[in-house]
Amino acid sequence: MAGPLISVRNATRIYGKGEARVAALDGVSFDIYPGEFVAIIGASGSGKSTLMNLLGALDKPTDGEITISGQALSKRSQRQLADFRNKIVGFVFQQFQLMPRKSALKNVMMPLQFRRPRFSDEKERATQRLNDVGLGDRMDHKPTQLSGGQQQRVAIARALVGEPEILLADEPTGALDSKTSEDIMALLHQLNDNGQTVIIITHDPEVADAAKRVITLRDGKIISDQTRDMAA
Amino acid sequence: MRIPGVAIITSALGSLIERPFRTALTMLGIIFGVIAVFVSLSLGEGGKERIRENLDSVSARTISISPNWTGRSSRQRPWRPFTENDLLEIQSLNGVYAATGGLDSTYTVVSEASDWSTNVRGIDTSYLKAQELVMDRGIPISDFEIQAKSAVAVIGSSAARSLFPNQDPVGQRVKIENIPFRIIGLTKEKGGESWRGRDEDNFILIPRTTGRARLFGDHRLARQQVRSITIVGENQGVLKQIEDDIDRIMRRSRGLTPDEPPDYRIFNFSANRQAFADTMRTVSLVILALGGVSLIVGGVGVMNIMLANVTERTREIGLRKALGARRSDILLQFLTEAILLTVISGIIGLILGYFISQTVADMDQMKIKYSWTVIMLAFGASFVTGIISGFIPAFNASRLDPVEALRNE
Ligand SMILES: Nc1ncnc2c1ncn2[C@@H]1O[C@H](COP(=O)(O)OP(=O)(O)O)[C@@H](O)[C@H]1O
Ligand SMILES: [Mg+2]
Repeated sequence: MAGPLISVRNATRIYGKGEARVAALDGVSFDIYPGEFVAIIGASGSGKSTLMNLLGALDKPTDGEITISGQALSKRSQRQLADFRNKIVGFVFQQFQLMPRKSALKNVMMPLQFRRPRFSDEKERATQRLNDVGLGDRMDHKPTQLSGGQQQRVAIARALVGEPEILLADEPTGALDSKTSEDIMALLHQLNDNGQTVIIITHDPEVADAAKRVITLRDGKIISDQTRDMAA
Repeated sequence: MRIPGVAIITSALGSLIERPFRTALTMLGIIFGVIAVFVSLSLGEGGKERIRENLDSVSARTISISPNWTGRSSRQRPWRPFTENDLLEIQSLNGVYAATGGLDSTYTVVSEASDWSTNVRGIDTSYLKAQELVMDRGIPISDFEIQAKSAVAVIGSSAARSLFPNQDPVGQRVKIENIPFRIIGLTKEKGGESWRGRDEDNFILIPRTTGRARLFGDHRLARQQVRSITIVGENQGVLKQIEDDIDRIMRRSRGLTPDEPPDYRIFNFSANRQAFADTMRTVSLVILALGGVSLIVGGVGVMNIMLANVTERTREIGLRKALGARRSDILLQFLTEAILLTVISGIIGLILGYFISQTVADMDQMKIKYSWTVIMLAFGASFVTGIISGFIPAFNASRLDPVEALRNE
């Protein structure tokens, strides 16, 4: 087996100082290998989002090291981190974070304008991704003209358009009803079946049950890390 | 092929069009700012120019000298007129536009229709130029008439109206002290009153030589050669020098020792000049204040609108960074947006400002002066406010970690 895609060592993230000091993440270590589907669960405030933001290089750990694709994030410059976010990871937010005034297609194309070198077929790639998530007929719709589930599909298409090595999703179904959630989860599993590494935060036990591996956090620490044999 | 500049501008334009309300409000702020600065400065510069023109007008460039017959020195020394030689010397000074000297006195002039009390002036050929008089009809008094001591006269328009109501004065005859004069010319109306409150067009001009030989000869001022000399400088700048030169010429001509007080007086319009200069300074200050206030008002408006949007834009910046934008991508995008916005609004503002100041000027018959300085100032000011208010928040937001910027709700 190849080496880990993600290696987290003693990752710590502390907010505030003195009285207000909160260790949102408190010395967390684990590895993730290519092609895994990992669910991170835990009570609200247990540090799930904090961990996810560190993996996506949206935030920096106070202590510890995160190594992705063999590159230690702490040793990367601002510019390299930007390229990392653009190329290596695709991030799906709980609140979708779409540009409200841009069409679905424009939203999906957005990360491509930061790619260096740029692709010559940005529009085709974005269209392809929208087709993949089942929104080929909604490309010119603005987010406000789409349902929650459709908006999250646009966000997933946007996260995938740069062909990232890892798809990170922070409670992607948190704002959706259960039927729509199932659809989104099916989509993510389908992606994983095609080899996409997926890490997902969830509250939903059903969602967690469907994952091959579940990491449970409590008070910023990992209290369990279970891999199940899905074949059984 | 992709041209990076075009892509950036297209995307910035798209971003502006996506928020039509905000874009329109911001543009309005900049446009009003530019209009206010441009109109006030253009009208102000025009006003200054008009004052400058006044300052350069003949009357503001005039110096006159006359023998001093008041004060203590008159008791010690007899009152002495100037000589034609003095006049010649003054005429040849550097910076003198015109210098004229003559004699004058008030007489009752009689025509067939009426009689009229008016100022009769014995003049030389420089007189019309120095007084800014031009002929309306007929011909001026020339060297020929002066040499020949002819009994001819040129009449001012208001004297002509009184002596020859509803008649062409040219070719008519008048009698002054019973001496008949033939009128050969009529001057154009100068209009208004002199600074002494005198009707500027009530006069009759005759050759100086004729006056000396036949008219003023019986008068109290009989033996004076040239009673007063009027000098017009080429511009404001030379007046001081001319005054100094006149002083030198007169002291020598009149045999005054350096410590003797002068027995002549030099009148100038320096008081008027000072008043003009003061007015000019006031106008400049008012314009500056107006321009400054309108600039601040416009600028505050623009900043308000832009800053009101910082939250939304900060989130956008966070999202862009999360999707892989480098800091330079963010800065370039916001800079392009701000520049586009201010340049387009600035141009609209200048065009509207032009029409507005033109209209205002037409209404109030004011003078306008458009200068590159004013255009650059109006434009530059809007540019700076636009860039500062559009760019500084983006600059700050681009420094945040993506999570921090995204958290901005
Ligand atoms: N920006 C912040 N400043 C201070 N404390 C924070 C901040 N973000 C998160 N926290 C705290 O860190 C802890 C973990 O938060 P988070 O990772 O969002 O939890 P989860 O996603 O599991 O609900 C919580 O106690 C939360 O209050
Ligand atoms: Mg969370």
